[in-house]
Amino acid sequence: MQTTFSEAQLRDPDTAESNKQLRTCVHCGFCTATCPTFVLLGDELDSPRGRIYLIKDMLESGRPATEEVVRHVDRCLSCLSCMSTCPSGVNYMHLVDHARHYIEDTYQRPWHERLLRNALALILPHPNRLRATLMAASATRPLAGLIPGDGMFQKRLRALFKLAPRTIPAPSPLEGPRTHTATTEKKARVALLAGCAQQVLDPAINEATIRLLTRMGTEVVVAKGAGCCGALTHHMGHHDPAMASAAANIEAWHQELETQGLDAIIINTSGCGTTVKDYGHMFRTTPFAEKARKISALAMDITEYLAKSNYTPTREPPGLTVAYHSACSLQHGQKITAQPKQLLQKAGFKVVEPIEPHLCCGSAGTYNILQPDISTRLRARKLENLKATKPDLIAAGNIGCLTQLAGDTLPTIHTIQLLDWMAGGPKPAGAP
Amino acid sequence: MTPTTEQGVIEAIQAAHDASEPLAIAGRNSKQGLLRPVQAARTLSTAGLTGITLYSPSELIISARAGTTLAEIEAEVAARGQHLVAEPPDFTALFGQVQPQTIGGIVASNLSGPRRIAWGAMRDHVMGVRAVNGTGESIRSGGRVLKNVTGLDLCKLLTGSHGTLAVLTEITLKVAPAPEQRATLVLRNLAPEQAVAALSAALGSPYAVSGATHLPAAQASFIPGLGPTPATLIRLEDFAPSIAYRSERLRTDLAPFGPVEILDDAQSRLAWTAIRDCAPFAGMQGAIWRVSVRPSRGPQVAATLEQAFGAAWFLDWGGGLVWIAGPATTEAHNAVAAAAQAHGGTHTLFRAPETLLAAVAVIPPEPAALATIAARVKAAFDPRGILNPGRMRAGE
Amino acid sequence: MLPQPAPKPDILARRDEIVAGLRALLPDDAVIGDALRLKPYETDGLSAYREVPLAVALPSTTEQVAAIMEFCHREGVRVVPRGAGTSLSGGALPMADSVVLGLMRMNRITEIDYADRLAVVQAGVTNIGITQAVAGQGFFYAPDPSSQLACMIGGNVNMNSGGAHCLRYGVTANNLLGLKLVTVEGEILEIGGAHLDSAGYDWLGLLTGSEGQLAIVTEVTVRILRAAEGARAMLAAFRSNEVAGACVDSIIGSGIIPVALEFMDRPAIHACEAFANAGYPLDAEAMLIIEVEGSTEEQDFLLDRLKAICAQHDPISLKVSTSAEESLAIWKGRKGAFGAVGRISPDYMCMDGTIPTSQLPHVLRRIGEMSADYNLQVANIFHAGDGNLHPLIMFDANDPSSFAKAEKFGADILTLCVEVGGCLTGEHGVGVEKRDLMNVQFTEIELDQQRRIKSAFDPGWLLNANKVFPLKGLAAE
Repeated sequence: MQTTFSEAQLRDPDTAESNKQLRTCVHCGFCTATCPTFVLLGDELDSPRGRIYLIKDMLESGRPATEEVVRHVDRCLSCLSCMSTCPSGVNYMHLVDHARHYIEDTYQRPWHERLLRNALALILPHPNRLRATLMAASATRPLAGLIPGDGMFQKRLRALFKLAPRTIPAPSPLEGPRTHTATTEKKARVALLAGCAQQVLDPAINEATIRLLTRMGTEVVVAKGAGCCGALTHHMGHHDPAMASAAANIEAWHQELETQGLDAIIINTSGCGTTVKDYGHMFRTTPFAEKARKISALAMDITEYLAKSNYTPTREPPGLTVAYHSACSLQHGQKITAQPKQLLQKAGFKVVEPIEPHLCCGSAGTYNILQPDISTRLRARKLENLKATKPDLIAAGNIGCLTQLAGDTLPTIHTIQLLDWMAGGPKPAGAP
Repeated sequence: MTPTTEQGVIEAIQAAHDASEPLAIAGRNSKQGLLRPVQAARTLSTAGLTGITLYSPSELIISARAGTTLAEIEAEVAARGQHLVAEPPDFTALFGQVQPQTIGGIVASNLSGPRRIAWGAMRDHVMGVRAVNGTGESIRSGGRVLKNVTGLDLCKLLTGSHGTLAVLTEITLKVAPAPEQRATLVLRNLAPEQAVAALSAALGSPYAVSGATHLPAAQASFIPGLGPTPATLIRLEDFAPSIAYRSERLRTDLAPFGPVEILDDAQSRLAWTAIRDCAPFAGMQGAIWRVSVRPSRGPQVAATLEQAFGAAWFLDWGGGLVWIAGPATTEAHNAVAAAAQAHGGTHTLFRAPETLLAAVAVIPPEPAALATIAARVKAAFDPRGILNPGRMRAGE
Repeated sequence: MLPQPAPKPDILARRDEIVAGLRALLPDDAVIGDALRLKPYETDGLSAYREVPLAVALPSTTEQVAAIMEFCHREGVRVVPRGAGTSLSGGALPMADSVVLGLMRMNRITEIDYADRLAVVQAGVTNIGITQAVAGQGFFYAPDPSSQLACMIGGNVNMNSGGAHCLRYGVTANNLLGLKLVTVEGEILEIGGAHLDSAGYDWLGLLTGSEGQLAIVTEVTVRILRAAEGARAMLAAFRSNEVAGACVDSIIGSGIIPVALEFMDRPAIHACEAFANAGYPLDAEAMLIIEVEGSTEEQDFLLDRLKAICAQHDPISLKVSTSAEESLAIWKGRKGAFGAVGRISPDYMCMDGTIPTSQLPHVLRRIGEMSADYNLQVANIFHAGDGNLHPLIMFDANDPSSFAKAEKFGADILTLCVEVGGCLTGEHGVGVEKRDLMNVQFTEIELDQQRRIKSAFDPGWLLNANKVFPLKGLAAE
């Protein structure tokens, strides 16, 4: 596509990168078809191509973001389905990340929105703060029903309350930085991104990961100083905190890499995996570039790692049908589609897939809080498609999806817990 | 008037246009009696425009002037192992005529045979036309290539317009390789609903069925090789190994409908030619109608009319084309029109004495908004209304 | 950039009033009237042409479409219908004084009937959406334009879209039974239905491919077909375009009509392989994708014959796909071809002329010469069985001289197509792109005949008035 950036504008590396992506886009419109918001809303402005156009106009003009542009960019789930569809190879992720950053720099959101976004940014990436908040929310959960009104603010508050589990799991005994030695002959050493929200919402996922890896002869280190990957704040356009989180991880892992060596950095929350794999790009113009590139190159989803590590089940197949929900960050963000299904099949499950597998479930990080209407519709559509496959349970590789799809008729369980179970681990809570 | 060049056609029409004199448009009159009689002192015939002008087998294209006989074209393409896909029927016997039909006539009336259900109508294979409109202007649409969306598709509009918009002077058709072999599966003694269910099953199979017909006993007796029992026919056309394979698969799939007999290639040719040409009704007195409906409704239309006036009938196009024969009365006609309408389809009074043709709506009227547009379209081609006035509808 | 019809000053002056009028007819979120949000609607799949419309209306029902048309007709406002906006000929390019009527929200399938083999779908259902809805029962909707993932059936009807498989299954016009329309005056009309071949004029045939000139299509009854038992593709690579062209002739002449017969030249092979990793032969000058259908044995029978025919043309390689996945990858490359060219060039223009297949070597040679003359790269992809060429001219839209050259190059190619007995467009439509070339193919008398038909449907020329017909008179209005 034609662009009209000035020489001066193009000297900014982010603008130069966006120009490159805009020039790659041929405006063919294929992306519209697989975009969840276009499918629901039927408006070019809520499609990737429409957003690209709005972003192009905003960046070219150099004007501050307007309420209209913000509305349509905010509706983007960052599910990256468009990137799977795009025949031209446009990196929409980098484009929309740039736009979000630009919006945060140039646009003043209403006070209540700023309050909510800042609160999310202050709480979610920090396990202790999140745990305390969830406990408070859980205790006051019945209050959600009492919030009056149909405004966006009220809907968001209600969504927030609804997300709080009825019971908050106790912190895992395995939480915190340490090295988990292999329980069989040591073959490899990996770092695990222990993450932030996931270890509060469902500590069993990390426990299963560590158990399975150490049982397979992989030493697992949870590095000191590593924490949130930065995705939550990054997707809200909060550039500096996101970079700070990411930098801390890079430092912590690089330290491990330099001292005791790492064969991989394992991530069991695919939303985070997409971001860690993008560190190289995020830091490309900083002194951190080389370190970040190395870390990104080592990053692997847990299923990617297991697919290469001869995962072997030890239990009899349980005779269960698993509907595999492919998290957007896995299938679109990281292009990992076959491995999780193959592993589940190897573990002895019958694996089925819903129709519209490319459509997002509506979780999308903080999207389910910030865009409750669209998120609710996508959740219902996804659950309907999943249930039509008549499974015993739903498996996914991302805590966001698991939380989003929970609370209906089917149990939702992380892929790794099922794999660990069949390889000698305990039966996951909720499994039939 | 029988001009031998397009220029001759132009001059004839210009003269008629200048004089506001209506013209009956004809080829060789093989379908004289189809639709409404035209009140015109003079007839403009395209019978003098003859000859194949282009045939390129590897491009699947043949062009011929409008008065070229269908027989000549069919012979030419058959010599290169090809055929006309829509299987144009030969109704000369049905209309009691002797002259061979022309390509112009078959296109102007958009008549297609049993293969229509699978491979499209005549109109789907008209790739290009030359024609002269009602002011004597020569116009072309389409061309000599298989895929063409340049401008409005006048090929389709003129096909089936019965010479009321323009006079076709040259036509380019898509042709296709003729099948290596044919076979016909025959099921016996099915009730009409069952028969259509069997045809639906066959047409909904992956075996590329190219003909799907049901004939009651009386009509079956006119088809070579069938005899006087109700017969449900399913045709396959393809390479020999495919015919062998698919016949067996269909025989199995259709087992719930009863045992299957198989007509071989030669028998199939004869049977389907008779069905194509409406042989069961060729010797019949009275009127003949065609009703086009949703295939599953064919049996209901037939039953209604059998009850109303003892109609003779048979079904082609998987049940979607109901051929009907009955008395040439307004009552019978009204019953046909009502039955077609009740089932969401359309009727054509296909053959009848002139008195009946002139007295009734031989095809259904159009809704008011469309009739307005139709009148404007007619005027866009033929502002003085000189080409075949009243052929399709009174006053049009 | 082609000239547009002169906007009507009174309409531009009444912008706010017209937007308010539309708002009175539709829900709040169904009317767009602010400049910033109108901008993404200024173009479609042919982004070199752009014009911001007066307003955008996004109806959800045929009744809403009728209300919009009635209103626009009364107010004398031009209307540009739009589906997914994937047109490669600028079919959805707005005019400054026009309302864009977007049918994307009309995306419901209202009926599927397997016994009668039809589906009734709203105009905004995607082409592949129909096939996906019936695939569970083994059925499909046959026309498969490369943009089938995104393009909508309403647009397919208006462009009479083809696809890779129309050699066997026909184009859109051959696969329709009925339409629900809204006339320019806002009347709802139904033509055809669930049956074949209505008596009377073939309105269905005329409307199909009419590029939004005659009426707004809101609902379509399509034929659905049972899919063959299986399909397999084969890749044949050749040393030159001429040899590949001769092979196409031999195949058709042999009596086999493959379900698809696609041709790609060297630049196209390379661009698509980079996107699809389908194992395309990178050492070839030309490649054919040949697909056959049937049971495994039937496929083997046909593929054996085809291999023997190809073998007579000194192929570099012949490769038969061995699995459904492999066939899918082969098609992924072909179907993503246009976008894939976006990887090697910032912009492209996709031509769509059809030629008699016997002219293929000559035409490709001439295109090669022109490419050198214009100093613009071109990749050739085409539906070889039916002679529908898709030369993709690569250029740089940020360089105005490059775009001007590309436009001229394209016009030369299309003129050549007509000269050798072909036509300007096989399946993309005239749109705005080829509008001013219509004189190359048609006489003024013929164009006037077509214009009078348009006038019969749309006397005030409110529908898509910037497309198809050279401006003549309209610009001066």
